[in-house]
Amino acid sequence: MSANRIRILVVEDALDIQRMLRSAFEAEDFEVLEAGTLTQALSRAATFHPDLIVLDLGLPDGDGLTFIDKFRTWSQAPILILSARIHEADKITALDRGADDYLSKPFSIGELLARLRVQLRRGPKTESGTSSILEFGDVVIDFVQRTVTKAGQSVNITPTEYRLLTALTRIPGKMMTQSALMKEVWGPNFKDSTHYLRIYVGHLRRKLENDPSQPKHLITETGVGYRFVK
Amino acid sequence: MFNRITTLSALTERLNNWQKIALSALICSLSAALMDPLIGHLDLANIVMLFLLVVLFVSVTLGRVGAIVAAVVSVLLFDVLFVPPRFSLTVENSQYLVTFAVMLITGLISGQMSAGLKDKERQSLQREVRTRALYETASKLAGAIAVSQVKEICENFFRDELRVSAAILIANDGLIDFDLSLNKVPFPLERHMAQNAIRSGKTINNEAMATTRYASIYVPLKASAAIRGVLALSLHDRSAQLSADDLSLAETLGAVLAITIERLHYVEVANQADLDRVSERLRSTILSALSHDLKTPLTVIMGLAESLSRGGAALAEPVLTVSRDIYANALRLKTMVINLLDIVRLEQGRMALGLEWHSLEEVVGAGIQYLGQSLADNHTVRVSIAPDFPLLEMDAILMERVFSNLLENAAKFSPPGSVIDIDASINEGHAHITISDHGPGFLPVDRETAFERYNRGALAHMQEGLGMGLSICQMIIKAHGGDITLQNHPEGGACVQVALKLGNAPQVPQES
Repeated sequence: MSANRIRILVVEDALDIQRMLRSAFEAEDFEVLEAGTLTQALSRAATFHPDLIVLDLGLPDGDGLTFIDKFRTWSQAPILILSARIHEADKITALDRGADDYLSKPFSIGELLARLRVQLRRGPKTESGTSSILEFGDVVIDFVQRTVTKAGQSVNITPTEYRLLTALTRIPGKMMTQSALMKEVWGPNFKDSTHYLRIYVGHLRRKLENDPSQPKHLITETGVGYRFVK
Repeated sequence: MFNRITTLSALTERLNNWQKIALSALICSLSAALMDPLIGHLDLANIVMLFLLVVLFVSVTLGRVGAIVAAVVSVLLFDVLFVPPRFSLTVENSQYLVTFAVMLITGLISGQMSAGLKDKERQSLQREVRTRALYETASKLAGAIAVSQVKEICENFFRDELRVSAAILIANDGLIDFDLSLNKVPFPLERHMAQNAIRSGKTINNEAMATTRYASIYVPLKASAAIRGVLALSLHDRSAQLSADDLSLAETLGAVLAITIERLHYVEVANQADLDRVSERLRSTILSALSHDLKTPLTVIMGLAESLSRGGAALAEPVLTVSRDIYANALRLKTMVINLLDIVRLEQGRMALGLEWHSLEEVVGAGIQYLGQSLADNHTVRVSIAPDFPLLEMDAILMERVFSNLLENAAKFSPPGSVIDIDASINEGHAHITISDHGPGFLPVDRETAFERYNRGALAHMQEGLGMGLSICQMIIKAHGGDITLQNHPEGGACVQVALKLGNAPQVPQES
């Protein structure tokens, strides 16, 4: 058992899903620990020092949201929500409380591992971009010069588009809710004007994506928000 | 004294005109007989006074007819019995003609006046009785807890007070549903008149119909918020028109009825909303539990099968094939479970759409993304939506399901490697979105019945996955007030057209 294996805490009350996740994670050489209740999850999170938490929102002795609240008081490790719920509102609440991404059940293991890797790659959450240059696809953003190029060509970006791009790309893989983006880019008074967001994301896609209708980097999670994928 | 006269006049109320004439003639004659011994003791002028007193008494007790008779008879009796030459109509001194005239005029005027007073008294008495009845009815209505009770109270009031048959017709949004059991009426009506009363807000009184069994009076029941119905009155049992007073009484009660019905309406609305909230919460809970219980085992099956096949080289080929088959079938099951849950949610019919202004390109893109690799591996999707295509007001989550369902169908029924096209255009206030593939197209039978199959419950007979997905699409599009049609391209290939209403999309200020 090497010391630098990635540790994953699986908070999930269904035993067969626990087992299924364990076998999938162990195949990737992750170290796995399970917790079936809220209290167990909190105590194990404190001692296990996980690099990432996979969290089911419905727990027998409490709400997964409570776990997020408490866990976030001492750790910034990424939290990925697994949800069988049908209401988008639950996911949005979890994301606004500090979760990083979510997957709806039933999900494919391939997709789960891909999302996990994105979260793990960025390491501990940082408030500002660590690097002044961000590259994805053939796009380069220089946060110092405030310039954007695509395939070597300079892209003309308006101030609002730039603010939105900065907000979206700050934490790759992190699902940003509409309200969080609205608040950051337009301020609290525009909370209900989410169509602004849609228009401006459309502008950005047209300028940065190869096919704006099938984006590869600025991904829509319908009803919830947007996620930037490198 | 006055009370006695009132009692007397109440007694004489029941007499008919001939009896009144006879009685007043009798009273005058008796008085004349009693006065006869006074001749020689009293002046004739004073005798006249006594006669006038009698006329006044008769007019007060017997009314207008009695007064006229008494005046005429008194003049005759005075002339014949008292004025010399006695026992003849001739008059010696022509001055007495003036006396006669004064007597007659005084008698007639006093009769007229006392009769008028009596009429007024009778009217105020009637008004008092009605006011009391109206008050009692109003307080009964205030306690009514059902419309049927209101109807009964109203029928009783009109039967007792005006001797007419009354019925209430309840209207919804200004329209009366005459087939409603609540609106069954014991007499025939003119429906258009009832409807007109509501439209105009004015009482309709068709006097020509009063003698038939048909209701001839229609009073709109105007409450503060709306006209709640019509009060229909049939005068058949009464055999006389209603006076203006009666009509205004009916209208007054109509106002009270309207307020009562409105109160009951709001009580019902509040109750219904309460009930809706409870059953909505219950349904949502059941659906959440069902969704959870179905998805959890599916997650396990999919995950285990996928883990197995990812094991790769370590497994023997037959095991690998089996695990891939398990995964593929679990995936199909997943689609069906999600579709089923969607249908249950949509079929509740009252699912509130989360309408917001969305970019069509984005929602279509999300539908493509939902299908993920399985679509991208086998098909190229070409989207042509103009950059300045207006925002559409829609529930993005549901519309994403529409596009992913339609794309999934297109992918399933067209050859691998072929192109699927999505185009959007604007025509006659609608956005038209078409999804075309290069497959064999819809069978004629599919085009006619694809949307109905699911409704008929013949799930087993359809081409796999076609019916349910299309039914969901149709439910969602209909909920948006749009339309979906299945067509085939002349050069082959299926073509699904979705039409959505263009609204007044909000403007976003341009940045320089």
